[in-house]
Amino acid sequence: MRKRQNPIYKRVLHEIEREAQIHPRYADLQNQLALLCMFRGEAKRAENHFSEAIRLNRKYQDAILNLGLLYIETKRLEEAEEIFLSEVRRHPKDGFLHHVLGILYIRTGRKMEAAARIHKAIQCHSYYRDYYRKRGVWRRGLVHLDRKAERTLKKIHLDQHYAQFHNFIGLYLAQKGKSTQAVKELRKAAELKPDEFIFHANLGTVYYYQGLYPKALQQFQKALEIDPLYGMGYANLSYIYGLLSRTQEALRFMKKAVRLNPQYADLHYNLALLYSDRKQYKQAILELKKALRINPGYLLARINLGVLYEDQKRWNEARREYRKILKITPDDEHIRKRLEKIS
Amino acid sequence: MLIEDFVIQSNIRRMLIRTDIDYSKMDFGTVKGVVYVRGIFQLSRLYTDGDEERTKEFTVKTLFSFEKKIRSVPGVTDVIFQFLNWRKEKGQWVPVEMKGKEAEDEEETESNL
Repeated sequence: MRKRQNPIYKRVLHEIEREAQIHPRYADLQNQLALLCMFRGEAKRAENHFSEAIRLNRKYQDAILNLGLLYIETKRLEEAEEIFLSEVRRHPKDGFLHHVLGILYIRTGRKMEAAARIHKAIQCHSYYRDYYRKRGVWRRGLVHLDRKAERTLKKIHLDQHYAQFHNFIGLYLAQKGKSTQAVKELRKAAELKPDEFIFHANLGTVYYYQGLYPKALQQFQKALEIDPLYGMGYANLSYIYGLLSRTQEALRFMKKAVRLNPQYADLHYNLALLYSDRKQYKQAILELKKALRINPGYLLARINLGVLYEDQKRWNEARREYRKILKITPDDEHIRKRLEKIS
Repeated sequence: MLIEDFVIQSNIRRMLIRTDIDYSKMDFGTVKGVVYVRGIFQLSRLYTDGDEERTKEFTVKTLFSFEKKIRSVPGVTDVIFQFLNWRKEKGQWVPVEMKGKEAEDEEETESNL
């Protein structure tokens, strides 16, 4: 196992250990601790923490896969195979699982099974077709496992693992407000696995924290090139254009975000703000009503709706919305005053 | 020039993400320059160490700086806080005991970040 003795990782390990003592039932902390132990070469401790994360949350797929990859690294291949076979039964269209099984079979000299898994990975996602083609494994519609290809593939799954590690460290540092270090880690993750949209999205988010909007826009756009159905990516683009006071673009992207995530009340709310700012009140009201249909307890949407009705002198409707708000929050003096003013 | 609500909202969103606040149980909105913040105010897990008194002290400091930051966003004309667990009385932030139903309702509140 490759050891990484970076002082930042050591410090993060101590901090997460402390957090895990305070919150012993948080599965994500156990998973993070395990990743850190793994990268410090402490395989046994890593195994214990991954197992604890899975015990706390039986459906925690990241922890399950990480444990499987740890077993591959520590050459406990039968246990690894058991994990990945069980996962692939639950997620038969997950190309990554077939890909890892393929590599595992290469390691154990089971070439036929390896070829079958690689073929399945390619069927699951076009990314793997390009991936294997570049490495000379996929040629003319067939899997070719010669010695050179085998040598390359034996190592390759670790990229995914290292990328995930750097991604987690990056996110942790970003949460702690250490954006510059966070960017370094997230860039490492994106370099190791450039096709993973979430790494670009996270990098975009940190640039957004830092106020580096052109870079943030670029990363969110990359994430969207990889996964055009990533609705929140469009929402983030919209928020950034909002910060730049470029509301025309903000509107365009928020519309896309809403189209992809029609069940997110908050996106309808933001779209309503954009319409209302442009004095397109009819559309704004429509979006607020949609937000309220999804989440009838969304008081902020109701406040905006009341104010919009008020602006349009639709007094009855404004009063109705304010009364509904006061039913839920009778102490709301601000709304009470607004209601009194139009009563 | 009038600053648009969406621009204010985007600024508040970014500002909130950069604070020590756990915004998962909070909602915020903007209406004609007035910012509403409601829900449960609490610090991010990363900033609590289990010491109740210290956490309370830090929470009050964070509330004051949070209010100041919101008011400094261009275009904001007023801020209305409607927290279930904190209330501002005579310029001071005081903790409020949440009623059982409110606490349950807030568990289901959708975060708008």
